[in-house]
Amino acid sequence: MMENAWLIPLFPLFSFLILLLVGKRMKETSAYVGIIMTFLSFIGAVAVLLERLDAPTYKAEQVWFTIGSIKITAGFEVNALNALMLVVVSLVSFLVHIYSKGYMHGDDRFSVFYAYLGLFTFAMLGLVMSPNLLQTYVFWELVGLGSFLLIGFYFYKEEAKAAAKKAFIMTRIGDVGLLIGMILLFWQAGSFEYDHIFAAVKAGNVSQTMITLSAILIFIGAVGKSGQFPLHTWLPDAMEGPTPVSALIHAATMVAAGVYLVAALFPLYEASETAMLTVAIVGGFTAIFAASIGLVQTDIKRVLAYSTVSQLGYMMLALGSGGYVAGIFHLTTHAFFKALLFLAAGSVIHAVQTQDIEKMGGLWRKMPLTAPLFLIGTLAISGVPLLSGFFSKDEILVAAWTHGHSVLFWIAVLAAFFTAFYMFRLFFLVFSGEGRHEAKEVHESPAVMTFPMIVLSVLAIFSGYINTPWFGTFLGDWLTDEGFAHEEAPSWIMVVATVVSLLGILLAWLMYGRRSLARDWLSSRAPLTYNVLFNKYYIDEFYAMTFGYVTKFISVLCKYIDRFVVEGIAVAIAAITKAIGAFGARLQNGQVQMYGAVTLIGLTILVVILAFTGGYL
Amino acid sequence: MNGTYFLSLIIFSPLLGIILLAFVPKTQEQTIKLLGFLATLPSLILALFAFVQYLRGYDLNRLAEKHNWIHFGKFSFLTESTFAVDYELNVDGFALVMIVLTALLATLAAVASIHIKKEWKGYFMLFLLLEIGMLGVFAAGNLLLFFIFFEITLIPMFFLIGKWGYFEKEKAAYSYLIYNGIGSAILLIVILILFARTGTSNISLLKEMLHNPAAKAQLIAPISNDLQYGLFIALLVAFGVKLPIVPLHRWMLRVHVQAPPSIVMLHSGVLLKIGAFGLIRFGLGLFPEQFRHFALFIAILGVVNLLYGAFLAFTQDDFKMVLAYSSISHMGIVLIGLGALNEAGIQGAIFQVVSHGFISALLFLLVSIFYERAHTTMLGNLGGAAKAMPLTAGFLLAGAMASLGLPGMSGFISEFTAFLGLFKVAPIIAAIGTIGIIMTAAYLLRAVLNITYGTAKRDYREVVDIQVIEIVPVLVLLGLIIFIGVYPHILAHPLQATIETMLDGLGG
Repeated sequence: MMENAWLIPLFPLFSFLILLLVGKRMKETSAYVGIIMTFLSFIGAVAVLLERLDAPTYKAEQVWFTIGSIKITAGFEVNALNALMLVVVSLVSFLVHIYSKGYMHGDDRFSVFYAYLGLFTFAMLGLVMSPNLLQTYVFWELVGLGSFLLIGFYFYKEEAKAAAKKAFIMTRIGDVGLLIGMILLFWQAGSFEYDHIFAAVKAGNVSQTMITLSAILIFIGAVGKSGQFPLHTWLPDAMEGPTPVSALIHAATMVAAGVYLVAALFPLYEASETAMLTVAIVGGFTAIFAASIGLVQTDIKRVLAYSTVSQLGYMMLALGSGGYVAGIFHLTTHAFFKALLFLAAGSVIHAVQTQDIEKMGGLWRKMPLTAPLFLIGTLAISGVPLLSGFFSKDEILVAAWTHGHSVLFWIAVLAAFFTAFYMFRLFFLVFSGEGRHEAKEVHESPAVMTFPMIVLSVLAIFSGYINTPWFGTFLGDWLTDEGFAHEEAPSWIMVVATVVSLLGILLAWLMYGRRSLARDWLSSRAPLTYNVLFNKYYIDEFYAMTFGYVTKFISVLCKYIDRFVVEGIAVAIAAITKAIGAFGARLQNGQVQMYGAVTLIGLTILVVILAFTGGYL
Repeated sequence: MNGTYFLSLIIFSPLLGIILLAFVPKTQEQTIKLLGFLATLPSLILALFAFVQYLRGYDLNRLAEKHNWIHFGKFSFLTESTFAVDYELNVDGFALVMIVLTALLATLAAVASIHIKKEWKGYFMLFLLLEIGMLGVFAAGNLLLFFIFFEITLIPMFFLIGKWGYFEKEKAAYSYLIYNGIGSAILLIVILILFARTGTSNISLLKEMLHNPAAKAQLIAPISNDLQYGLFIALLVAFGVKLPIVPLHRWMLRVHVQAPPSIVMLHSGVLLKIGAFGLIRFGLGLFPEQFRHFALFIAILGVVNLLYGAFLAFTQDDFKMVLAYSSISHMGIVLIGLGALNEAGIQGAIFQVVSHGFISALLFLLVSIFYERAHTTMLGNLGGAAKAMPLTAGFLLAGAMASLGLPGMSGFISEFTAFLGLFKVAPIIAAIGTIGIIMTAAYLLRAVLNITYGTAKRDYREVVDIQVIEIVPVLVLLGLIIFIGVYPHILAHPLQATIETMLDGLGG
């Protein structure tokens, strides 16, 4: 199957094309096209994964086009990382395709939605099997397009329009970094191929400065895509898209592409300490920064969005600390439990028709399936022992402790505490206590929506067991070709992780479950801090005041230069021409003396020119 | 394929249409439109045929034509061929690609001309004359013939803008004529100096005479090094008006806004490219030494064009102005590639010439379709059009994506290749240029989303979506843009020989 792995992304592409052409006539049966096609992809991905478990990496390429003597190639590669990503992406996409059949039911543009999902899935699957940087960049941009189209799916809403535009432009800023880094590497290593780049780096053909520079530039691309600080602001706004989209693109797959990119280029990063440190610091800072915003948000999807940003920061921190396996492991488990959380949130939104958690509450009884499923996701992300998030988070903390800076380790611990707190705050506000919502009849979602959530919840519980210090580090061994040694870390790290997560849950329970602590504890004691957090550190406002204004200023400046200086010069030249013409016209006064004089002067000039130049310049 | 008259046939077949149109009563709208459209087809079919044959290995030199034409003087010291202007046509891969582009855009613009409201007869006669001029420019074998065809495009364009344009059409037409007239005058001076000094205007012969030391001895009069620089700068200005290079661009803004969109398709798609073509063919081809000295300067001009156009496009209120500045910005990529002066750069520049031809034609075709329904292109008055016209809106977004260089579409390949080239020689300048990539996304999304997304600011109830006859040209263009983006080899292959020749001229 590995040599036919290129078929995997083509199924969703086919779905996209079919639905684009005849989707309008198919109405809601469009869903089946999308579901069947992604299912085929999923089957293919599983087959590839199973084969790759004990087979070497498979790579196929051919020339795409030539630039003079330079040959640009395209193809696909199935290595361990890619095979794992294929399964994660196709599985989540498949489940979201099923879920959307219920969630998007009744929408006018039902088939368009499925078409876009197909386009996105195609691009994402293509991205995770690219053998070279240029091809990665191509799909990198195409997933961006898919994300843009789906964020702006409700195009008639001004917020959706603004969010889609913002997502595209913010990520493009990062993409330019990736583009520059990629081109610089090309001229150093002579190739876009991952293998060739690593070989050149290993052989010392690339200078240390260049390695650091290009690694950091490429990381900027990852920062944009994975919503890391300072390019994170688009991701929470991207929640304007339909919720299944948030689950697929803005939680499980596309936003993890930045982490994937750093992982795919890991040998390059390892060659530069500065680059590694940059990744670790940006990741660690983002983890705590986004988590602190998540503490006070009131929109269910935005809390989850900041949680995603924070968790992606965690993964970056892991990679930057040398925890290759830890980063990928958390990427995998996070894909499952965060997709689960978003789908469950979608189920809640579907039922109560609001996203404001202040207007929810008391849904535990009314949504007997969604509520426990959401709880499983919450437990997993909080790092409660025995669930998937516990193991992957532990792996990250171990990596940060053994290789990273101790400050970063404690930041990660604090972020874990925040995570447990805001996730259970969310849980208690939505499901416990009295109903504060206006919707009269709250129903559990149909089976088409709950089935994918059940599958994900099983994965959220058990997917951690592919890599545990107790039962075996299967994932680590496989990803690194047996070269993985689980660090013998002090066992107190696991204890600390468990304690902070339980403390976070306890605090959330006291404030929002049992309510023995006042809810406005923070907002009344430190209104300033609360406002800063609630307004997301005023980053959006800051960008609008700086970059926004600078861009506008330059534009307007250019506009005036164009209108007055450039046009002014043209007008001046025209005026000079006119003046010469007017002068010439005055010479035509009908007097023979004047004509004689002009003729004589003209002749003199010609003779002088001839005498000096001999007729040629 | 019989080579002897093949190129002439491609160039002059629209003439048949002009003659036939002369006999059609001017009130018969349908007949005129149909005839105008049909008259563009022979060129297109022949050009495509030649292109396919070339891809299959046909030697383009066999298409060359030469007939005696004008002879000056009968002095004893002149040989037979000196100071003779022959009617000579020939093409290489680059020229052939341009001819296919021109013939194709002419056909599609003829379809888009269904929105022309008056005096169809005169319109189509001028339209076909314009096509003859454009096709001839790319096939001309000597400078004087090039100049003649170049001027042939000027006149019909002047009337097409001045008569069938929008409110300020006369001003735009004069502005067009004056700027381009000055450019032409400078070009003519260069051509005449070369002709007077070398005794020939044949392009390949000129190349030989200017660079081969043995041939240099046969010059009628010496061409000093300074003069070569002078001539090169004059060429840069002459074609800089056409391209346009900032600050010689003001005229083309008016043309973009005031001319009928079907004509702007040709103007932006082909006529601007004559500037690039001339710069590559004559600037680089005849004066490689000088070009090399100016390469960095040209790259900087390119970055200026790219950024200046992009920032200005960001503040425009009229969608047509956004596209006009966008054209300026995108021509910056051509200069960036040429300034890099290596394989990647030159290929990127030529790719951009072709790719932008398709993309700008697509966007103006959509402007024409959109204006027909909304009667305005002012961004402030638009919004939410995607609801009433989902297909038009979708195509517009696709066009914007092509223009902002989305991978999988032709614009990406050209932008990427040009930047790849410049990063090798001048990474700092190139890095500054990449700001343009961000700005392009910013201004295009601002403009297009303002039209199609958001709440509707006007009543679209009466509006019907894009019709079948309009969809066909849109799909052809979009299909080609995607085809080149996915399979760039289709362009890279025919251009290979041309680029190699140019690099040889540069001395490696």
